[in-house]
Parts: sequence; structure tokens; C-alpha cells
Amino acid sequence: MSKLANRADWADDEEFDDPSALPAQQVTTNKDGTKTVVSYRFNDEGKKVKVTRRIKTTVVREHVNPQVAERRTWPKFGLEKGNPVGPSFDTTSVGENIVFRPSINWKAQAAEAEKNGGEKGSMKDQLKDKKVKCRICSGEHFTARCPFKDTMAPVDEPAGGAGGAGEADESAAGAVGAGTGSYVPPHLRKGAAGGGERMGGKFEKDDLATLRVTNVSELAEEGELRDLFERFGRVTRVFLARDRETQRAKGFAFISFADRSDAARACEKMDGFGYRHLILRVEFAKRTT
Amino acid sequence: MRPILLSGHERSLNQIKFNRDGDLLFSVAKDKIVCAWWSANGERLGTYTGHQGAIWTVDVSPNTILLATGSADNTVRLWNVKTGECVKVWDFPTAVKRVEFTPDGSRLLAVTEKRMGFLGTIAVLDINYENLETQAEEPSLRITCTESKATVAGWSYLGKYIIAGHEDGSVSQYDGKTGEQLENVQAHEFDNLISDIQFSADRTYFITASKDKSAKLISSRNLAILKTYVADTPLNSATITPKKEYVILGGGQAAMDVTTTSARQGKFEARFYHKVFEDEIGRVRGHFGPLNTVAVHPSGSAYASGGEDGYVRVHHFDKPYFDFMYEVEREQLRK
Repeated sequence: MSKLANRADWADDEEFDDPSALPAQQVTTNKDGTKTVVSYRFNDEGKKVKVTRRIKTTVVREHVNPQVAERRTWPKFGLEKGNPVGPSFDTTSVGENIVFRPSINWKAQAAEAEKNGGEKGSMKDQLKDKKVKCRICSGEHFTARCPFKDTMAPVDEPAGGAGGAGEADESAAGAVGAGTGSYVPPHLRKGAAGGGERMGGKFEKDDLATLRVTNVSELAEEGELRDLFERFGRVTRVFLARDRETQRAKGFAFISFADRSDAARACEKMDGFGYRHLILRVEFAKRTT
Repeated sequence: MRPILLSGHERSLNQIKFNRDGDLLFSVAKDKIVCAWWSANGERLGTYTGHQGAIWTVDVSPNTILLATGSADNTVRLWNVKTGECVKVWDFPTAVKRVEFTPDGSRLLAVTEKRMGFLGTIAVLDINYENLETQAEEPSLRITCTESKATVAGWSYLGKYIIAGHEDGSVSQYDGKTGEQLENVQAHEFDNLISDIQFSADRTYFITASKDKSAKLISSRNLAILKTYVADTPLNSATITPKKEYVILGGGQAAMDVTTTSARQGKFEARFYHKVFEDEIGRVRGHFGPLNTVAVHPSGSAYASGGEDGYVRVHHFDKPYFDFMYEVEREQLRK
């Protein structure tokens, strides 16, 4: 039995690379006295990670109480028993640098730093290396500012879109939109306006100052949109449609303002605004029915 | 300064403590284990396991031989710091909320909770260093708090008085030998419990932190209120820095209200106040939850904070911290 146990199982042939095995740590000494340590480990997702560290060793001599020096030689115990000397990855890490300068008027300084670094800086940084491209003529300006805006349709939109709407209005109240090719629900047909009761009347007022934002990047966040639109006035609601499964943005959002004039201003200013890698299209939301 | 993050606990921190030399840091949390860390690099020396409930409090003897912990499992345990072994268990009728050694390490006080018909008490246990396993079974002194239970307590200079902070916001002074109540002062607003008491290096004065959003510097001898530091959030902890004339306060929204506020509004920052001028001089952010406990290195070169988020952050101060001075201080230096 013991013989069997000692013999290596044929299945454990060394030629097979065990995927869970990690290459050994490599330490090379550089000319300038630093060391380069290349080690491998698994991250939280179970992926193999190569960690390259360049370490410069500085010896700092410090005179301490003999008791303290004696304590430094204590072996580890409890959960740490048997672990090598030095901080381990799973319990100890180094946080990001914190600038701490005591000062009497620290509040004013903090507010100023936030204003400079937080809002203005980031917005400029975001737009710094963005190339603006018009969707109509592919020129270097926003689509909304395109000189051909009124004469040409965007490249990716069907040309017949604009003409169809007028015809629909002219069609008779009872017709089922036969002439236009697209179905028009009864309450939207001419003559049906005002008829029928609307539900959820309390939302109606909201709609007047609600903007529909389309062509939103799928990486967008509600907070970012809020920041973007809050410059024009008080934003009461930000709704970003998300895919139920992937939680990514679906590409459109609704922004409600407290004041309609703010909304109008935002609509004018933000239409054609480059956000992330896309250009926003902003319009007033259509009435929900 | 770059903080060192210690993530040895799975639940919120309750207390952290440096030993007298400042090379070790002990932390206790609600997750039943005690961790010992090297304060210089954040390496974990070891853990002390044995408690059956959340650990509320920890203290280390001045010679760093024994460690005392008080827990919600109604026990006080004494540990051998070096080996991690439990050398003594004292059973109490209720949970133990605070333990502290006398400055000479010969006695240990334990504050017990008021619950299940038992009144809150402060028990004093004699500690023997000759043979660690043989400790006195019964407390040598027992103070019963009949009016309002004690939440925190500590020893004044030379172990002469026991100073206790109460649930109703008052601070009282007991004789360290007889347990007789000598003084009682309503230091904080009524019914705002005192969450922490920490002493200065020479233990002639101490700082209290309270839920009434203020911290007070109080004299040990006659409980005179020397200074008041007003914050905008309930405080969980306060400490006095030995090197510079500062105090550090820690607090934040109560844990139950945290989910309703953002990190910035939650005020999860360590606040630095000038000890003498009572001005707030800066904040250090970093935690994702309220700060439950702050402790300062005995040499004043670092401080650590433990939060509701389960992290301990150790900050070694850098130059601007030591350089900051008021105009008057500078003038005095020139003379």
C-alpha cells in the first residue's frame, strides 16, 4: 500500500501544466542597487496576475528600547502562525496619499481646492482630448452648429422621416394611418386631442420641464448627468434607462428641472454637447399618455 | 501621508490601542477576534481567539506582557501578548464595555453593562505578573452605579481616582482605593452618553467624547471643564496628541442612519482641533463609515482610526503636521 502511495500517479504527469501552479518568484538585482521582484498571484476573480515591483532598500537605523527590539523577534501566532515575515497582502495595504496640512482657515482652503480640482478641472480634462465631429457633414463642430443643419439630415437617419409627420396630421381622424405607413394611435390623431382622461395627473406638471436626452454613452452614470445639467438650474429628477441584466445605460435619459426656463436653456446649450465619446441630443420630452 | 490600511476584521471596529512603546497596535471588533499589529509597517503579529461574542474593549499592560479584553460574552479575558494564549477568564453577569490597566499595571478596571436586572458596575481586578495563570478570582473592588450606568472609565494619575463617563452625560470621580464617589459633574448635555474617555500622557487631564456633538477637556483632580471642542456630528472617540497641542476627534452619523447619506455628508473624518485654542485645524478623510475609535501613538508620531467599515487606518504624520504653529506660538519661539 505504501509503495502505491509513493509512486506518482500517471495522471499527475509533470508534463501537464497544472493551471493552478504559479511560477516561482524571480528576484534580480539592478545596477543602481534596486531590486526587481517579479511574483505571480491570483486576484479575486481567480485570474493570474503578474506583479512587478522595484524595491529600493534604505536602511534606517533607530535606537529603541531593548524590550521593543526583543519584541521584533517574536514569532507570529494565531491566524498569522507560520506566515513569513513582512506584511501580507490580505491584511495590510497602503492607502492613497492624503495631504494633511493643519491650518486655521482649512475650511476655505478645502472649498477652494474642491472648486478648482473638482468641477472645472475635471470638465476641462474630460473634454481636452475629445475630437468634435459633426454627424451631418463630419466637420469639426457640434452637429447642432452645423451650417448644413437645416438642409441636410444626419447621415444615419432615414431621409423620409421629416416629411412623414406633416402628412399624418392631414389624415382623417378615423383613418388608421394608412397613407403614411406608420401607425398613429387614436388619441394622437387629429381631432382626438384633449379627448380622454389621463392617468397620473400629478406628473403632468413635471413633464413641462423634462428633457429627453438621447445618444447617451452606455457607461454614463446618473450622478454625472446630474452634474452636467445642474449648471442650468435645480434638477429634480434624473432618470437613466438601464438594461435590466447588464445594468448598462440604454442610451437615453430624462432630466426634470424645477423650472421650465432652466430646462429650455439647458436644452439649447446641451444639445450637441460632447459627453464621453458621444454627442448628446437634447429635446423636450414628449407628453406621456 | 500615506495611511496603512489594516483589514484584519470582518466587522466594525470597537477599540484600538497602542502599547506604551507604540510599536504594537491592538484592535478589537465585533467579529470575536483580537488582532495585534506592528504599528510601523502594518504587519499583523497575530490574533487572539477565544471570545464568543463581540469584543467591546481592549487594553494592554504598560509592560506589554498582558492584554485584557472585555466582550459581549460577559467575560474579561487576559492574554499573554507574546504567545496569544488566554491566561485567565473572569465571568461577569453582563457584557463588559471597557477595561483599563492602572498606569503601573497592577490593577485592571472593568465596566459592566446594566442589563437583565443587573446594575452597571465598575469592577477592579488585581493583576499578578509573577505567574500569569494565577490571578485573583474575585474583584478587589466593586462600584455599583445606581443612578446612571457607566459607559466608559479610566484611571487618573497614579491610579488615584477612577474617572467614569455615564450614559446621562455626566462624569464622576471615584476614589481608586475605596470606590467612594467623590465628585459628579454634568459635563455634557443631559442624556447624551459619553462614548469615550482618553487621558493625557501624565493622566492629569482627560478628554471625553459625547453624542451631544462635543468633546471636553476635563481636569482629573476636580473635574473642572478646561476646554470644549464643538463638532457637527455625534462623536464616538477623542484623543489627545502628546507631541503637538492637538486633539483628534472621531465620529460620524450613527450606523443606522448611514445608508441614507452620502460619504461626504456622513462626516466620516477624523477632526483635528487645537487643544488650547479650540479651533478646528483640519480633517483627514478615508473611512467609509463613522469612526468608532481613534488612538494616538505615545510618541505623537502617528495616529490610527478604526471605523464602522471594518478598517483600521494607521497614519504616520509628515512634516506639515509638526510645522503648523499659530502666530502667537511662533512669536514665543522667537523670544
